[in-house]
Amino acid sequence: MTAVIRTQGLSKWYGNVLGLSDVTLEIGAGITGLLGPNGAGKSTFMKLVTGQLKPSLGRVEILDRPVWNNTALFARIGFCPEQDAFYDELTGGEFVTRLLELQGFSRAEAEERAGKALRFVELAAEKDRLLRGYSRGMRQRLKIAQTIAHDPDILILDEPLNGLDPLSKRKIIRLIRDLRDAGRTILVSSHVLPEIEALTRSIVLLHHGKILAQGDVPYIRELIDKHPHKVAVTCADPRTLAAGLLGQPSVLNVQFGPEAGTVVFETRDRDAFFGRLTRLIAEGAQDVEEITSPDDNLQAVFDYLVGT
Amino acid sequence: MSGLARPVRSIFSFYLFLVRRARRTKAFALVALLPAVTALVIRINAWLTPGASVDGPAVFANMVLTFNLQFLILVLALFYGTSISAEEIEGRTLTYLTTRPVPKAAIILGKYGAYGVFLGGMVIVGVAAAFAILEADRLADAAEWLVLLRSVAVLALGLATYLAFFTLAGVLLRKSILFGLMFCFGWENIVPYFPGATQRLTLMHYLKSLLPPVATGGEGRFAFLMFKLEPSAPAAAVITLAAVTAAALGLACWAFARKEYSFEE
Repeated sequence: MTAVIRTQGLSKWYGNVLGLSDVTLEIGAGITGLLGPNGAGKSTFMKLVTGQLKPSLGRVEILDRPVWNNTALFARIGFCPEQDAFYDELTGGEFVTRLLELQGFSRAEAEERAGKALRFVELAAEKDRLLRGYSRGMRQRLKIAQTIAHDPDILILDEPLNGLDPLSKRKIIRLIRDLRDAGRTILVSSHVLPEIEALTRSIVLLHHGKILAQGDVPYIRELIDKHPHKVAVTCADPRTLAAGLLGQPSVLNVQFGPEAGTVVFETRDRDAFFGRLTRLIAEGAQDVEEITSPDDNLQAVFDYLVGT
Repeated sequence: MSGLARPVRSIFSFYLFLVRRARRTKAFALVALLPAVTALVIRINAWLTPGASVDGPAVFANMVLTFNLQFLILVLALFYGTSISAEEIEGRTLTYLTTRPVPKAAIILGKYGAYGVFLGGMVIVGVAAAFAILEADRLADAAEWLVLLRSVAVLALGLATYLAFFTLAGVLLRKSILFGLMFCFGWENIVPYFPGATQRLTLMHYLKSLLPPVATGGEGRFAFLMFKLEPSAPAAAVITLAAVTAAALGLACWAFARKEYSFEE
């Protein structure tokens, strides 16, 4: 793999607070997912990579060049910030066009590129509306439009799916995949594992400013599967269901939830557990209303991984 | 420096466009037109009152001194100068600028230029309108036009200097507005009345030194405000103000380029 983004012992402190600690990474073409709970250091990492922050220690390079105050490099980077902040006096079209002019494009070329980017994110019909009238999903797509409008080689997307409804999420996931297929290097952050899984198989897990694990999705899943998982089942008769599953070696623990009709199982072998549960349901032994996994919460996964 | 020209132009054009749309601009534009409105009221009152006359040059000179110089340009420079960096940070839009191939110094210089041109235009329109109303019967007199030109030049120089000064304050200080208010209405509006060399420590001293003689010569109702002015030579005043402007802008660019800004939801 040819590294497009390379960090070596990268660390960042905010006064006495550690933002990022000794991160060494090489990121090549395609999509790399940066996964971690809130406060893990994802945004700090992205701000260091985009030159908004200066490393306290270590190096960050893009295309073998240091990033901090290297404005020439910024022409090749597109950054989608996490914050929902815009120049609300502008229309969507003006916003993308004016930012393109800051990239050095003439007015005519900027307008042409803005139109293309807005069509790509399906906002062309809304280009003359003031930004304060845009929905959250439209604003998120507009941020993607300003990220890609100058045709950068490297895209840094900080929580691009945050706060979106499922339909908007699907649209943006499709957009990001299209950009990957066009040969871009994309670094995308999220605190939601399924979101990252929908985008890429290459994941970096960050926690408390450090790399906790790095690899493809099966490897990360394997790491996670070494630890017990919780499965909450809501049904008419949770005690009978618990009795039917308690004899299984895959079940480590059973707890009756605070809500009536809910039982929480702890298992090390999700496949075996769900196999048995499915059989019980199919046999009509139980009328199950809902199955949820509290462990889908990334913080719980991280708690397992760091042993807390 | 030539590498800065294009990005400064881009930022200048962007913010000249944005500042026209900003809500606060409408409020400040109304304030800037107050001298014209006041002049109109004075004129109408003179027309409606038998035997009353208006000393146009004296009223105009006092208006320029007490409203435009000692209030309006200070307030405009304070609110727009400090906002050059602060509005991007508070609005969390700075990211859109600092991740572009635009040196950080260009952000300061471009915004400074855009705000300076726009505010200068606003002030000049108000002053020129007040002049035309108050001196309607002397418009053929070239000497009056020179007074207007000199007044406009002093106001433009004052706006440029204070805008640069407050740009620097906005970059360096968290509570720059509070500092600015104390500076404007404490230091700058009181110390110039101190006799001796102390008044030379204010920017206002150098601006007043440049005002047309009609405003500093002891005429008009508010002439008492000037009685202790010990003016500097015009060339020295211009050089001092230009040096302060250049130094403040240079420092603001230097400090802004070295600062890091982080936004969290």
